[in-house]
Amino acid sequence: MTTGLVSPKRCADSHGDRHNDGLKLHDLSLATRSGVRGVKASEWLIAQSLHQELKTHELQPPELQPNTLVELPGSRLLMALSTREFWLLEPETEAQASPIPSGHCAPGVWPLYNQNSHAWLVLSGEPRAEMMAKLCGVDLRIEAFPVGTVAQTQMALASVVIAHHLWRDEAVFSLFVDQSLADFAWEALQDAMEEFNSVQ
Amino acid sequence: MTPPRLEHPFGQLIDRDAPVTFEFEGETVQGYEGDNVASALIGQGRWLISRSFKYHRPRGPLSLAGHDANTLIQTPTAANRLAEDLPALEQGAVSGQNYWGSLKTDYYAVLDRLGRFMPVGFYYRAFFKPRGVWRFWEKVIRNAAGLGVANLEVAPRYTDKQYLFCDVAIIGAGPAGLNAALTAAAGGAEVLLIDEQVRLGGALTYHRFTLEDDIRAQTLEALSNAVANHDKIRVLTDATCNAWFSDHYLPVFQGDRLYKVRATTCVLATGSSEQPVVFRNNDLPGVILCSALERLLMHHGVCPGGSAVILAGNDNAYLTAITATEAGLPIAAVVDLRPAPDDPTLIAALNERSIALYPNATVYEAHSDKSGLQLGAVTIHSIKSQGHVDAPILRVECQLLAMSAGYMPAYQLACHGGAKLAYHDDKSEFTLTQLPAGMLIAGSVNSVHNFNAVCADGRNAGRGALRALSLQTDSDETVYCEDKVNHPWPIFKHPKGREFVDFDEDLQIKDIINSARLGYRDIQLVKRYSTVGMGPSQGRHSALTTARLIANATERTVTETGVTTARPPVKPESLGVLAGRRFHPIRKTPMDERHRSLGAHMIPAGSWRRPAFYGEPQNRAACIAAEAQAVRTGVGMIDVSTLGGIELRGPDAAEFMNRVYTYGFLKQPVGKTRYAVLTNEQGVIIDDGVAARLADDHFYVTATTTGAAQVYSEMLRWNAQWRLDLDIAQVTSAFSAINVAGPFSRDVLEQAGCDIDLSAQGFPYLACREGLVAGIPARLMRVGFVGELGFELHVPSLLAQSLWDRLMSAGEPFNIKPFGVEAQRLLRLEKGHIIIGQDTDGMSHPGEIGLTWAINRKKPFFVGRRSVDILMSQPLKRQLVGFTLSPAAPKPEEGHLVLRDGDIVGTVTSCEYSPTLDKIIGLAYVHPADTQPGSQVTIRTAQGVCVQAPIATLPFYDPDTTRQQL
Amino acid sequence: MKIMHCPLNGPRNISEFAYGGQVEVMPDPHQCSDKDWASYVFYEKNAIGVVKEWWQHSPSSYWFIAERHNASDDILRTYDPSELFSERVDFTTGENEP
Repeated sequence: MTTGLVSPKRCADSHGDRHNDGLKLHDLSLATRSGVRGVKASEWLIAQSLHQELKTHELQPPELQPNTLVELPGSRLLMALSTREFWLLEPETEAQASPIPSGHCAPGVWPLYNQNSHAWLVLSGEPRAEMMAKLCGVDLRIEAFPVGTVAQTQMALASVVIAHHLWRDEAVFSLFVDQSLADFAWEALQDAMEEFNSVQ
Repeated sequence: MTPPRLEHPFGQLIDRDAPVTFEFEGETVQGYEGDNVASALIGQGRWLISRSFKYHRPRGPLSLAGHDANTLIQTPTAANRLAEDLPALEQGAVSGQNYWGSLKTDYYAVLDRLGRFMPVGFYYRAFFKPRGVWRFWEKVIRNAAGLGVANLEVAPRYTDKQYLFCDVAIIGAGPAGLNAALTAAAGGAEVLLIDEQVRLGGALTYHRFTLEDDIRAQTLEALSNAVANHDKIRVLTDATCNAWFSDHYLPVFQGDRLYKVRATTCVLATGSSEQPVVFRNNDLPGVILCSALERLLMHHGVCPGGSAVILAGNDNAYLTAITATEAGLPIAAVVDLRPAPDDPTLIAALNERSIALYPNATVYEAHSDKSGLQLGAVTIHSIKSQGHVDAPILRVECQLLAMSAGYMPAYQLACHGGAKLAYHDDKSEFTLTQLPAGMLIAGSVNSVHNFNAVCADGRNAGRGALRALSLQTDSDETVYCEDKVNHPWPIFKHPKGREFVDFDEDLQIKDIINSARLGYRDIQLVKRYSTVGMGPSQGRHSALTTARLIANATERTVTETGVTTARPPVKPESLGVLAGRRFHPIRKTPMDERHRSLGAHMIPAGSWRRPAFYGEPQNRAACIAAEAQAVRTGVGMIDVSTLGGIELRGPDAAEFMNRVYTYGFLKQPVGKTRYAVLTNEQGVIIDDGVAARLADDHFYVTATTTGAAQVYSEMLRWNAQWRLDLDIAQVTSAFSAINVAGPFSRDVLEQAGCDIDLSAQGFPYLACREGLVAGIPARLMRVGFVGELGFELHVPSLLAQSLWDRLMSAGEPFNIKPFGVEAQRLLRLEKGHIIIGQDTDGMSHPGEIGLTWAINRKKPFFVGRRSVDILMSQPLKRQLVGFTLSPAAPKPEEGHLVLRDGDIVGTVTSCEYSPTLDKIIGLAYVHPADTQPGSQVTIRTAQGVCVQAPIATLPFYDPDTTRQQL
Repeated sequence: MKIMHCPLNGPRNISEFAYGGQVEVMPDPHQCSDKDWASYVFYEKNAIGVVKEWWQHSPSSYWFIAERHNASDDILRTYDPSELFSERVDFTTGENEP
């Protein structure tokens, strides 16, 4: 039996396999993500094995400011949306059909349902900030929005979390949109990308 | 044969090797690439382009800068385009506008002779008497009114918008803007330079600033090269900044894209609008502004035929005369409104070129040629006193009159930001004051006209921008400009009138003065009464004259009189570009694709799309009835993923529930659900849902599809104040839900495989459980919204489609039938269950809708408690009840009125034909005296037909509520 | 378009925010008169000056307080609500305990 997990992004990729130097949109909705929230979430994270791993790699524990993210060993990312909400992103790990979390991780630390609540799209390519300027009012140019920063904003009138990070040795934008809007976001992005991908 | 044009340095914008052709009014017009429709027409000696708005007078270009309405034309795809803004390239057949017959012979032109019967305010005052006469006139007026024709066959263009971010936005790339850009960029700022023209340079591209035209070309080349090669300057040409909004948010239109520019600071180097002289027939085609003549010569290499007269209110007009002479255009006379030019060397310059000068004189009247459509001669009078003339000096035959009475700063953008205009009597000009923070102005918009001063002023603005950005810069240069460029009174009233103040609206001097005489002293009222400044040029050429005329007529200063408020947009804009791409975020549930493949008829529900029913729309009633039947007698399932979901987790979760919802929740047992009603602080019911207690410190609450976002938001706000120890999570999208309902629903779940005891004892009505259904982790609730045995299954959204598929196959032996929103609404109505927002409105309190049982008045507080107490202590004004009608009766619709003794006492909120009961059933607000079963109420249905409906006991179906508890 | 400074997300277009009304102190619902309660629920002073307002950054659902001059529309300061509401609030009247 398969996992039974189905990505909320159903619509076809209008660019198909067209190769170009422009932009590419990937659906990572079936990759693993999790998260915690609560007054003790930050302390709890540090107390977790994450901390140990970071030590092993001679890295400092994540002192995450809201709306930033850090790379962790094993192609993972830790993203802070506030001082009390953290998302763990594992782009290279396929999601499993796991039980619904029940109860807290520790007093004052609650698991998030972000695996299911948000679709995860990844936008790669050089003119990504310029293209996103057609959909989003936040300045996403590298000077204003360097790798390691996060913006909670709107894209084509829909709420979105945009994270700027490295993925497969390339700086990309991860876009987290409400899963019910995955198709809408995908189509709006594809349309906005068109002019950057036109084959000369 | 291609039309002849002037050689270099004239005709900078055209490509003489690329002739283009288009049609105007059925005649072929030839021009060159780089021409616009207006320049190509004039290049062929054609001045007449359109007819005026009111009197249908022949009109031609005035400003050639896109600043007047004289050149509004019709293209195959659009109406009301300005001829000078339309490239001659790629035009099909264009034509003039606002005529009946032909542009040359317009039958409506008779209105010009009837003008004296149509004073300003004519439309307001005529046509009211006798009563009913408007119905006759309306048709006539509507036929004559309006400009151009909208082509509805045109496919919409792809238009879109894009944000642009910069440190400094500079609007206007003339000498001031270019200098400002270079200074700011040199200081480390990121600059965006925006200009309406296709080429950088502004006035540098056409206007000689000095007698020896040596600075202009050199400066232009040096500055534009430096700007083009600077990597900190981005240039947008052929782009219009149409407004200034708070915090330097600038909409810039370029082609089919609207740039939403966000700058940290901005420099307006928008220049100024040259002003016409107001004299009789100053609107004849061939009467243009000096800058328009310069543009024709320098940009397009067009040397108009015949000879020209220059009417000067300042020294700049002399320079125009010199340029025209160099182009080979014979100047018959320079007429100066002043006793002498400020720069005495200009007199010698005219003498050298044998140009006659008439100082202290004006053109008092222009005359048309034999065709009546174009300038043929002017009469020159000497000036006796302000606005008054002596006997004529002479009449000069000429085909062109170029005039300059002065300049009005292009104040619009500054005024959008709250800047004010003050009039300086010594220079007779308006200047801008009280600029908003972070806005700088430079060049002629800042009333600086002298070439060196303009450049220095631009550099100073660049420095100012750097300071606003906290970047290093050197100190400002001294800007010194004594040039007087405005004549104080270039207005000459003629006994026969037709001295146009506003060309767009065909307003003459008397129209403005009459407005004041009729009591409209305030400039804003003058505008509304006379319509001055309301046309496409938005007062660019009329505001200054109007202010002077009204000041004079009301014996106030021009500053006191002022000008009307400038509001966006600066220039007319295309609605298509303004709309851009239309974003309609439509939410889909994970089962969306399944619904479609089952043939669902999808309808909007809030921002979601949901199946109304499954099947063809023409079989709507039968589909709904069959779906309802399946739920009543077999089993059905419905996608209820759109229900809101909120999780409350933490030690204070129960306390929080108790404060937010009306019912008591502290003692709610784990594994049970409770109906949860939400009132706002006004005591009005705003949402409802089911609260499942999953653990002592864990509630999962549903909310209505459309209320979910607001409920969540309000919960966050309450706890920002109360500081209770819990986490509030919006999980609407994390979980998706399916309701399996009907007598066989238990069997379907068992068939699918479920690790929960589903028996009536093990999992009773209103209980909740967590477990695996068909191998998928789920939260289950026994709910009774549709009134049958039923299970609501909430699962992680990524697994919802799989759950749907597995339930569909498990339900196959039981003929499971998916049902849509319509069947659900019918089924719940049969049970008398209300829908918040449909059966309630912005006034409904719990007492009105029979929800007093859901209010716990023993607890110390809930939101809206005090208001509910106050409302419930007052006599009820209306009450929601059920009614029935025979199937043959006219069926009331939602919103139909409930009457009592002829007065409206309520409305029908829900009404359906119930196939199960074979009755029309409904809910309605009625008078509290009529709520007893058996009472009759009057409902006014369609076409005013009244029906008597008996009040029924709720629920209509299964009154003992046994079926959902099985 | 105006820019508002969100204490969590920084400067953003005003279109990302939702207005939540003035910050009002709730009178004791058990002790106050009907008139005082109605005044709390329905009336705002609407006087010219600096007002404290609730604003929410919609994409992050984050509520904060803004101090704004309602004539000039200048936003003077924005801050987390914990600055105003630092203590746990409880409703007990001593009577009708559940």
